[in-house]
Amino acid sequence: MTRRALVTGLGFITSIGNDRASVVQSLRALRPGLERVEFLGNPSLPVKVAGTVKEFSVDSASWRDWRYPPRYQFPRETLRSLAPHGLYALCAAEQALADAGLAAAALADGATGLYCASAGSAFLLHHHLAQMHAVRGERGNPMGVVASIAGTLNFNLAAHYGIRGAVGGFAAACASSSHALGCALDDIRLGRQTRMLVVGAEEVNAETVLPFAAMRALSTHADPACASRPFDQQRDGFVASGGAVCLILEEEETARRRGATVYAELAGWGQAADGHNVAVSHPEGAGLAEAMRRTLADAGVTPAGIDYVNAHATSTPAGDRSEALALRSVFTAAGARPHVSSTKGLTGHPLSMSGVMEAAFCALALREGFIPGNANLVTPDEACDGLNMTRATLDLAPATIMNNSSGFGGSNVCHVLRQFSI
Amino acid sequence: MPSHSPVETTHSSQGGALNTLGRHFPAEVCEAYARFCASRESADADLVVIAIVLDHIPDKSLRPVVPPADSLALAADLGFDSVAITEMVFFLEDLFQIRITNDQILRVRTIGDLRAFVRQKLAGPSSAGSAGRA
Repeated sequence: MTRRALVTGLGFITSIGNDRASVVQSLRALRPGLERVEFLGNPSLPVKVAGTVKEFSVDSASWRDWRYPPRYQFPRETLRSLAPHGLYALCAAEQALADAGLAAAALADGATGLYCASAGSAFLLHHHLAQMHAVRGERGNPMGVVASIAGTLNFNLAAHYGIRGAVGGFAAACASSSHALGCALDDIRLGRQTRMLVVGAEEVNAETVLPFAAMRALSTHADPACASRPFDQQRDGFVASGGAVCLILEEEETARRRGATVYAELAGWGQAADGHNVAVSHPEGAGLAEAMRRTLADAGVTPAGIDYVNAHATSTPAGDRSEALALRSVFTAAGARPHVSSTKGLTGHPLSMSGVMEAAFCALALREGFIPGNANLVTPDEACDGLNMTRATLDLAPATIMNNSSGFGGSNVCHVLRQFSI
Repeated sequence: MPSHSPVETTHSSQGGALNTLGRHFPAEVCEAYARFCASRESADADLVVIAIVLDHIPDKSLRPVVPPADSLALAADLGFDSVAITEMVFFLEDLFQIRITNDQILRVRTIGDLRAFVRQKLAGPSSAGSAGRA
């Protein structure tokens, strides 16, 4: 039997709450985190809504100007190389450590690793490159590279906490932090590490969000209450979001020895790519269906053993349809009817961080005994026929949950989480 | 920008440093900088240089008593790493419109060395030094 990996700590900086209790409340009450926004001071832009991060003001390229809750204190040598989403990530990590009952010093034991996911900071990269051009290459911020490029999260968090185990970053767009979580599970199973921090984070600014408008991927609904409507017939694109989530995964014996409180077991994962298109998912969800099958096999669970699926569904017409078809091919065809919902109706879509955020939601659902509903699902797409779509949050305690993620290039990653008691 | 600050936003290449000075440094430092711009008095520049050194100390637990002794070493006593020194040099360059080469900064080891070096740069024929000049 391979080693088990348990979720023992969570930290949240999300559009629906900046701590565990707020997130649970939002999931239970279907309280969305979306707000009206205006990017680049241009009211004529078609994008009117985003999943904003409250209590933080990080619009400036200078960390000196940032405002964030005073309960978080970081030294200058840490702040100077952070991007805005790096600040979110550190705050989420601090929460997760406190939640797990771990001192930061424990992360420097060599047996702890760190896997992160973000697209980097397009905002800061643009700022630093513009400065470089303005002075014809003669000067630049010495922290510009490590604060801006993809990998900035792992560079900074590893240095801040003195982490000496496996450290790396994942770049598969919206599946990135799901890859990070899956590979973290592998490292624990293989005995390479006894503890892994998995962090996903993204910014909510013009530089991160508007390029998706150019792809016609964003909703143009102006009402924050109903702009994000996964699986609904009236959906017209996703609502961008950001923040950070940190999930701490520990090997069972390590968690037992220190008397950790456990949210859930991460019981398996799998991935499969569509091999179809750079930006559009396979029309039948072929890759996602295969990823789900591989995940079920890895976890040793049958389709009937899954109580709830936290779908990736972002509220795009094509993506939600292909996921619904994939779910039917895996579950309906096997006679299984797990509850299905996408929590992105509440949170919006935080890109790279969505996988670990939703895995953390699944861990909350397992420990607290509820099944999150699918906000704004009024008339399901006909592709959902036969699926057990879950509109309102249910006071049902799931025992086993599947979490789906998909990203550009047709990457599909799934996890299975299940109840576990020490 | 705080109302007490005499430093105004500029569109020149000094802009970032001036904005930082105006927003995040104490009023007396901003006032010393304004006096330096008007009179070229090196004592005023000194006060600004010391404030910039203190601001760039990576770990605030190593912050010395003020005013700091000239003999304090940037690396050994104040915890400056190469990145913090580079950040500080860029800030000084932008604010005072001077140019500092890597060779020159490598010879600066203490607060006293830095004060003397910046004074020399500001007095030298090759230094721009005229604050507010693009």
